[in-house]
Amino acid sequence: MTDNEPFLVTEGVVKRFGGLIAVNKMDFTIDRGKIYSIIGPNGAGKTTFFNTISGIYRADEGSITFKGKHIGRMSADAITAHRIARTFQNIRLFSSMTVVENIMVGGYTRLRQSPLDILLRLKRFRDEERAAEIKAEELMEYVGVHGLGNELACNLPYGAQRRVEIARALAVEPELLLLDEPTAGMNPHESEDALILFRRLRDELGIAILLIEHDMRVVMKVSERITVMDYGEKIAEGEPKDIAANPKVIEAYLGRGAASGLSA
Amino acid sequence: MKNSMRESLARLANHLNTGRNPYVVSISLLVVGTALVYLSPRSILAFLVFAGATAMIYFLRMNKTAKLALAVFVAVVLVPILGARNIFYLEVIFQIAVFAALSLGLNIVVGFSGILNLGYVAFYAAGAYLWGFFGSQQAFLLHEIPGTAPLDTPFLLAPEWFYVFVLLGIIVAAFVGLLLGLPVLRVRGDYLAIVTLGFGEVVRQLVNNLDKPLNLTNGPQGITPIQKPTLPQGVVDAFNAVVGPLVGNRVTPSQFYNIVFYFIALIVVLAAIVVTHRLDDSKIGRAWTAIREDELAATAMGIPANKLKLAAFAVGASFAGGMGVIFAASRTFVSPDSFNFMQSIGVLTMVILGGIGSIPGVIIGAAVVIILNLQVLQSFSLYLTQLRQSDAVIPILNFAWKDLSTQLDPAKYQRLLFGLILVLMMIYRPAGLIPASRRIRELKGTPDASVSDGETNGDANGDAPEEADDDR
Amino acid sequence: MRIAQLPVSVREIVKPIGRMVVFVVGAGAVFSAFMVLLALVFKGSAADRLLLESMDVGILPYTVSILPQVLIDGVTLGFVYAAIALGYTMVYGVLEFINFAHSEIFAIGAFAGVEFLLFMERLGILAGAGPLFAYMLLMMAVLAGMMASGATAVIVERTAYRPLRGAPRIVPLISAIGVSFVLQDLIRLVESLTSGQFHRIFPTFGNFDDRVSLFAFEMKMGTVYVDIQVKSIVVIVAAVLMLAGLNYIVNATRVGKAIRAVAQDRSSASLMGVYVNGIISFTFLLGGALGGAAGVLYALKFTRIDPFIGFFPGMKAFTAAVLGGIGNLTGALLGGIVLGMLESFAGAYLTTFTMGAMGAEYKDIIAFAILILILIFRPSGLLGEQVSQKA
Repeated sequence: MTDNEPFLVTEGVVKRFGGLIAVNKMDFTIDRGKIYSIIGPNGAGKTTFFNTISGIYRADEGSITFKGKHIGRMSADAITAHRIARTFQNIRLFSSMTVVENIMVGGYTRLRQSPLDILLRLKRFRDEERAAEIKAEELMEYVGVHGLGNELACNLPYGAQRRVEIARALAVEPELLLLDEPTAGMNPHESEDALILFRRLRDELGIAILLIEHDMRVVMKVSERITVMDYGEKIAEGEPKDIAANPKVIEAYLGRGAASGLSA
Repeated sequence: MKNSMRESLARLANHLNTGRNPYVVSISLLVVGTALVYLSPRSILAFLVFAGATAMIYFLRMNKTAKLALAVFVAVVLVPILGARNIFYLEVIFQIAVFAALSLGLNIVVGFSGILNLGYVAFYAAGAYLWGFFGSQQAFLLHEIPGTAPLDTPFLLAPEWFYVFVLLGIIVAAFVGLLLGLPVLRVRGDYLAIVTLGFGEVVRQLVNNLDKPLNLTNGPQGITPIQKPTLPQGVVDAFNAVVGPLVGNRVTPSQFYNIVFYFIALIVVLAAIVVTHRLDDSKIGRAWTAIREDELAATAMGIPANKLKLAAFAVGASFAGGMGVIFAASRTFVSPDSFNFMQSIGVLTMVILGGIGSIPGVIIGAAVVIILNLQVLQSFSLYLTQLRQSDAVIPILNFAWKDLSTQLDPAKYQRLLFGLILVLMMIYRPAGLIPASRRIRELKGTPDASVSDGETNGDANGDAPEEADDDR
Repeated sequence: MRIAQLPVSVREIVKPIGRMVVFVVGAGAVFSAFMVLLALVFKGSAADRLLLESMDVGILPYTVSILPQVLIDGVTLGFVYAAIALGYTMVYGVLEFINFAHSEIFAIGAFAGVEFLLFMERLGILAGAGPLFAYMLLMMAVLAGMMASGATAVIVERTAYRPLRGAPRIVPLISAIGVSFVLQDLIRLVESLTSGQFHRIFPTFGNFDDRVSLFAFEMKMGTVYVDIQVKSIVVIVAAVLMLAGLNYIVNATRVGKAIRAVAQDRSSASLMGVYVNGIISFTFLLGGALGGAAGVLYALKFTRIDPFIGFFPGMKAFTAAVLGGIGNLTGALLGGIVLGMLESFAGAYLTTFTMGAMGAEYKDIIAFAILILILIFRPSGLLGEQVSQKA
């Protein structure tokens, strides 16, 4: 695997809802093991673009390739099996399941147990389940929610739920992780911790991360590259310092008071 | 005052449920129950005590081997003996077993994967009519008008094929399940309930009408006689020789069939429990729960939701198919009336009452509904009939019982029973009598993993009733 | 285009009646054309020969000769279904919830109306009723049915549905199924306690059983007389009036506007000062009353009622609602008429065309099959559903 191998590439992706064009001709590329961000005002089409990549929506036009494979026509579960995992803007944990079971659901595509293994409790089943449990515990520790394994996911505090959701996505063993506003609703201290976690994911596990963020500080600090969307289109792209200085971005997205937000 | 009462009751319950006490309690309950049923075979109260004692084996904190031993003793020794004393109990227990299997199957669809299937009884019909057709003379009556079968018509297959057809029923019903499940690929939640209801009705109407152009089902009259598996020579005599003195009466061969079918149904239920439990505690079960909770998030975790929903339909249907074959053989008769919408709702009621998604729950649900239906309502009817025949008068109203309408027969008011259970459970206790327990894993980082009450570890499967009693 | 210039109040009465005429004529034309075509295709087939042998008439003249009668029956049935379907569709539009118990609300209406008339009969009023008085009595029976059903619908909503609002969809649906079963047995209990029997027969009075001859036409086989029962006319007229009235309430009154607002977006409507619970209750009242009236009309048409009559008309009306596009009042009307025609055509022609292999008893299967097919392939119905997309 060389650095030049295309990782995630979208070309001319269009997504319409009736007459509304939510995503318009998005050309977008992510490299392996980097952190990228998409920013833009509300309704700019960021989450729609995300949903199109992860297969929840199907693009009306354009192509999406991941590691050279066309994933644009695949269902969400097939895309996940290709090692793209995601979290949701409004946390979507399985609320009647415990934390550890939630994370084990994330490992679904990695388990090879067949119905026969399951019904007869064959060795493969027992080994896999044990391994999955251990793996889930490791992930809990990694994201910082250890000791909460048997708690119901819905009983955890907000910040911990965000972490569990990331752990669940990590159980997919992704190469690309899509995080939809992962620090929304967190206090500055918590989002600082989250940033550390994202960097560790990149540096220690080699996972590429695509962030949608509202918190400008988060984006500026952590991203190697930022894409700005407005009205469904890409209006700017570049390194954080270029984006911060780009007048088009300031006008479209940051608007008044942007300077104070950045200098803070 | 009320609170302190409740507290002391709780303390007493806890006391009875720790150390050696549960063993003493459950054995003495069983002895009392058995004695009561033995002494007054016609008393419902006695039967309820016995049934309660049996259920307590599961609920008390005992070691797993002890529970198993007691359960086997009850199932293999006590029930046949008591059943031989009053054969009606075997009928009740047989029905509980049949409907427990149906509830377990429906529970997979409704409880695990969260799809409301209102046509579940169609799968039961598939199994019943499968053996109904192949286990009877119907294959030679394809061109006859219903009710005109010549007396000397032969049977298509030997009765021993019954055992093969239990397996076939499981397979065929699973296929029907896949077929009826196909709409899940396109139809959204509440519409799907209506689609399954429609399917169930279509199946029943087809069965009702397929006496022409080819007489496949014998129409509304139903198919009879359907063969039962033959009993080995002398088995009834042997049973009477061994058990007869204990029971005090001899069983006839036809009564002995009740015991046989009881055991067959028991085996199917046990198989259903094992299959359900093992599926539940695997990646498939986790995927089902995930789909039920949040289908979108589940697919985002790589779960092929449609495939798993179809699987739920197929597995759930298979239990009903197997039981359908057994039902057809035990009754020697099938007719469309046994597979109407109310039956589907009856099974749904058992699942909802016991606890949606909870294996012990739906079994208890089946038992409670069947006992209510077959025993409590029936005996209430009987009581009213007696009152009607007496000269008794309600004092203040000056209403003579014999003027009471004969239409007021509680045994016929199953719909009211089912309906009330459904509405009240949904409003006051949607998780059921015995809510599904969440799987507690022994994790190294968890403080509660090491805490155990000494004997709770008895059930390593983790399906022991948790105290987690989430009243909502 | 002239219609658009009329004042709102008048427009909202003229428009729905016009639409009903269009639907009836359109559906009737389509079904008739299809049937005649089918008869042409079947000409010379075994079915044709069988018919010639047994009744000395070819399949084409046979088809044409009974067509008017079949159409009349279809329209009558269609309006009954439409009136029930509106109850389903209104509640679904507002709450996105299948009121499974609506079929029993319908049955309660039928019983209330019939019981009222039976009471009049016992008082001896019915026997001597002149024509005008007979119509007044029938109208009172319909009102009784509307009141009983409307009240039941409101009570059911208050006790069994409202506490479950906000729960997962499956929960209120299960509760509704429970209510449906409870109501069936409650009707049965009340009816059998009072008389020892739980079915009722619509009393004979007035001129409802008379037949009005409409026209006759000559065919090779002889003159074919087409007539219509007075009660069919009553059913159609009453249903048209009610449907127009409902349309007026929903589209031209303040409370109707509130209903539409709640259907669009409950929380916003609430913020705008709409009393949401009240509007939901009112929706149940309207839908229930309409269902109750349909129940009385159904009893008038089919004479015998029992506590379980609701199931099939209920299922078919639900099918009609979905066929037209759930939440869409006009759609429910169209769906009802189409389904009524379909049932009437299937009942009349199936036996002949399949040479007895399939009889009228397949009409229920066909209705269910259609329901399943629409839900699978076009869940938004013919005219599109009007249900807000709530996140």
